[in-house]
Amino acid sequence: MWGIFLESVVIFKNYMGFHEKNWLAFLYLGILLYLWFAEKDRRRRAIFVYVPTLLLALFFCPLFRKLFVRLLDDSETYYRLLWLLQMSLVSAYGMIKLCARHRRTGLALMCALIVAGGNYVYDSEHISRAENAYHLPQETIDIVDLIEPEEGRITVLVPADLIYYIRQYSTNIELPYGREMLIARWDYYNAMYEAMEKAEVIETETFVELAREYPCAYIVLKEDRKLAEPLTEYGYERFGQVGEFVVYKDTETGSHR
Amino acid sequence: MFQIPGLLFWLVVIPYCIGMVPAALLAEERRDPGFLMLAGYFTMWALYGTVTIPVVLFVKYDNFIIASDCFMVLSILCAAGGVGLMYRRRKNSVTDHGRTAFADYMRQMPWAERLEWMLFLILLGFQLYKAAVYASFDGDDAYYVVESLIAQQADTMYSILPYTGRHTGLDIRHALAVFPMWIAFVADKSHIHATILSHTVLPLVLVPLGYLVYYEIGRVLFKERPADGEQVFCRENLPAFMILMAMFQIFGNVSIYTNETFFLTRTWQGKAVAGSLVIPALLWLFLLLNQRPDRQDKPDRRRHRAKKRDGGGVRFPRAGLWFLLVCVNMTAGICSSIAVFLVSVLMAAAAFCLAIVERDYKVVIRMGAVCIPNAVYVLTYLLVAYGYLLR
Repeated sequence: MWGIFLESVVIFKNYMGFHEKNWLAFLYLGILLYLWFAEKDRRRRAIFVYVPTLLLALFFCPLFRKLFVRLLDDSETYYRLLWLLQMSLVSAYGMIKLCARHRRTGLALMCALIVAGGNYVYDSEHISRAENAYHLPQETIDIVDLIEPEEGRITVLVPADLIYYIRQYSTNIELPYGREMLIARWDYYNAMYEAMEKAEVIETETFVELAREYPCAYIVLKEDRKLAEPLTEYGYERFGQVGEFVVYKDTETGSHR
Repeated sequence: MFQIPGLLFWLVVIPYCIGMVPAALLAEERRDPGFLMLAGYFTMWALYGTVTIPVVLFVKYDNFIIASDCFMVLSILCAAGGVGLMYRRRKNSVTDHGRTAFADYMRQMPWAERLEWMLFLILLGFQLYKAAVYASFDGDDAYYVVESLIAQQADTMYSILPYTGRHTGLDIRHALAVFPMWIAFVADKSHIHATILSHTVLPLVLVPLGYLVYYEIGRVLFKERPADGEQVFCRENLPAFMILMAMFQIFGNVSIYTNETFFLTRTWQGKAVAGSLVIPALLWLFLLLNQRPDRQDKPDRRRHRAKKRDGGGVRFPRAGLWFLLVCVNMTAGICSSIAVFLVSVLMAAAAFCLAIVERDYKVVIRMGAVCIPNAVYVLTYLLVAYGYLLR
């Protein structure tokens, strides 16, 4: 039980971003404590004080965590229980209550505290200027436009960089493996993925054999990807190039479905 | 260009008109446009789940077309019904009342408060600009956005593996959370690519909708005019509250797990909707159902009879709120299966605390009754997931 409790503490710390020196959580806990004393309306007290406190207690309760994991068969999403606290809502309400008599000064001070204790969402490394209305890399769209059949579906082997995006543009493109291979903790195995991504130099003969099992109509490789022998010696033609990606077409197998 | 009327129809007109159905069950004073829009979205999503989940479970081929056709007919009927109900109660109805109240509020607003509202609108505009012009990468899109696109392009739901495109059996954990199918429906009817709808259009709808929930919460919290000594419950605090909420969303990215991060970086995913719309909406309804009763909230038979002669008035003015609470719970189900568990925990915690402070055990019974759809959802989940054990 102690171990489960400690796991919950780690989840809480990660959620609150303590390791990144973000301390908005302390602001929330401080406001919650303040509301324990300051909130006199018993119904609001129930919703903004008792419920969050009860939920926090539940979050750290090892029995509850065991129940959650058993019922949902998923321990990775336990942090979502903290969404029920609605920290920003409770904090904003408490802040207004605290600074009601000096609202403007209080507002400026509270905004400064949020900026100092929080983390600017648009600084995230995952956010970048969109290249198109799809919000997908333009190279993905150009490659699919180059190879997509007018009718039917084809299987295409693409590097890991494109796996997340390619089927968000067209579901007529099928993949021998997908995102499941890119998440190490899911621990999947796929021989094609091993041959494509793991080998320092692609062993062309086995690689082509595996690709034709699917069968892959096209193979997309990064320009600088090393191959033991060029694909053109195994019945592939260089079909085109988009940015750093070279597109090879298999001329030996009929791969349309 | 041709997509815009379709988007306006399915994202503004239909939810707004559907919102008139629960609003018709409420006291006139509550029927403002913000309420109608929120009520409409939650009712529409609940309706979508009710129609689509059985189709996912029982229809194998072309199930997206069947679900879409059924939902289209039912939602248009509901919207027409809402307009009809509101037309019957048109005296002192939403438009006049809402417009008058808003005009009064605007007229009386001091310049400093106007400035605060301006600041909030700038913060909101900034978030919308970032949502439209900046792309946010999230690995889960390879599942959820592709599910929407498969439904749009292949007319089938949850029978193709999004990652690779191969056929697969029903993945019950995701199949009951049909939010991506609603996206596909809107994309299909508006003739817009589901990925563009998810990444570019929906944030422009769902982010303001999230702030509309916060605004409605603020309206309940800061309802009363300034009184002697107690300054907190006055309408003047509302813009400051909204500014703080916007600041929390923008700077709430303390980790990748917070609902604030989900709200602005994965807005189109069901779980983000659960975290930033459904859960706050539950708190909003708890506040509405548990605030000090106004005169218009009390069931008043004499007043009801008088109003009935005029074609207005409702006998149980809170029935619409309870109906909406059911719809919000059902919306959690279409967002994610875990959200059903989360909102049930929240409902239980709130029922427990409110029953204690109110010294009224009936609260638990009422809240429990609201959770019946959640129980049906969980039962369906268990039957599909573990049904083989019964054979």
